[in-house]
Amino acid sequence: MQKLPLSLARPGMVLAKAVARADGIAVAAQGTELSQSLLDRFDTMGVDAVVVEGNPVDLEGSAGDISYEKRAERLDHLFRKHAGDKWMEQIKKLLYDYFKLKAAGMAAARAAAEPPREG
Amino acid sequence: MAEDLRTERKGLILAVKDLPTLPKVLDEVARLVERSDSSTDEVAKLIAMDQVLSAKVLKMVNSPIYGFPGRISSIQHALVLLGFNVLRGIIVSTSVFEIMSENMVGLWEHSLGVALASSTVARAAGLRDPEEYSVAGLLHDLGKVVATVQLPELKGEIEQAVKTKDLLYIEAEKEVMGFGHDRINAWLADHWKLPPNIKEGLSHHHKPHLAQLYPDMACAVHIGDFMARVFEYGFGGDDNVTYLRPEALKRLKLKPVDVERILDHLSEQFLEIADLSFS
Repeated sequence: MQKLPLSLARPGMVLAKAVARADGIAVAAQGTELSQSLLDRFDTMGVDAVVVEGNPVDLEGSAGDISYEKRAERLDHLFRKHAGDKWMEQIKKLLYDYFKLKAAGMAAARAAAEPPREG
Repeated sequence: MAEDLRTERKGLILAVKDLPTLPKVLDEVARLVERSDSSTDEVAKLIAMDQVLSAKVLKMVNSPIYGFPGRISSIQHALVLLGFNVLRGIIVSTSVFEIMSENMVGLWEHSLGVALASSTVARAAGLRDPEEYSVAGLLHDLGKVVATVQLPELKGEIEQAVKTKDLLYIEAEKEVMGFGHDRINAWLADHWKLPPNIKEGLSHHHKPHLAQLYPDMACAVHIGDFMARVFEYGFGGDDNVTYLRPEALKRLKLKPVDVERILDHLSEQFLEIADLSFS
């Protein structure tokens, strides 16, 4: 299954998890096939992400979705022209620490959200 | 480079009025806005007559970039909330980017990223009318698009120089054309009579410390460009971060904690705008 921002969810995808409003009231059950009207309704209800069956969207290739870990790794390459520049090294360090911290936070959150394995 | 060649190329680039997609309605609207007795209603009606254009404008103003996601239902409403300058910028951007070929999608994404990042920076710095910073961000690489369309034979040369000499796109432009897209931006801004603050954002995003009239605008777009490159959101023509001018952070009084807030916001929002296309 895959968690998608609502903007990437499309009619025909199937919900792998029930969708609930912010106040906890469920509005669509697991197994529901998404339709455009349902997606529009989610939008007006403030639902910002859904979990769907399979891996319908290649998030790795889409703009803006690179993991924090990978962003930290890319900094050396992106900053290659500024090696040795004291100010830019400082900026790079700030970004590196930021992305590393975020990556650690995400990993912890994922571990906590992982449901206990069945059977 | 010989001066006459440079002048000739400037002339070629400014022949943009031949571009088929700049909507006539833009001229008419501009004329209407200049008249003191025109109302928002009239302006909105004029834009709304072009339905394809209106649909594109509404799609854009309802994106997370402008801070009113999904809540603007009419051109009239958009005009009241965002003002004519912003709408005008959006019309120019959709029109110009439409002529881009498929392989420039990366530049469109980069422009969207810079739009989002520039207004995020403006908000963090407590500047008024952050939407105007979005538009300047959206248009900041207009010169690259127009140069590609008007001087297509030079595009390959520029890309080649970026690759073989590991240059920034703007450095390669200067080497091949004799001037960078920042200069083209200034010509285009005059040509299309863009507001002076947006013009300065376009012409000085690579050297914000030299901006005279609207340094805040130049600094916000400069930092926005840097941020979009850090996140590698889209493709601005080369895979480098630009030199982040310390003067820009200082001018906007941004401290490390503010920068982290900006990064938080962008991490979240870049995913949201990932499917925003220009068609």
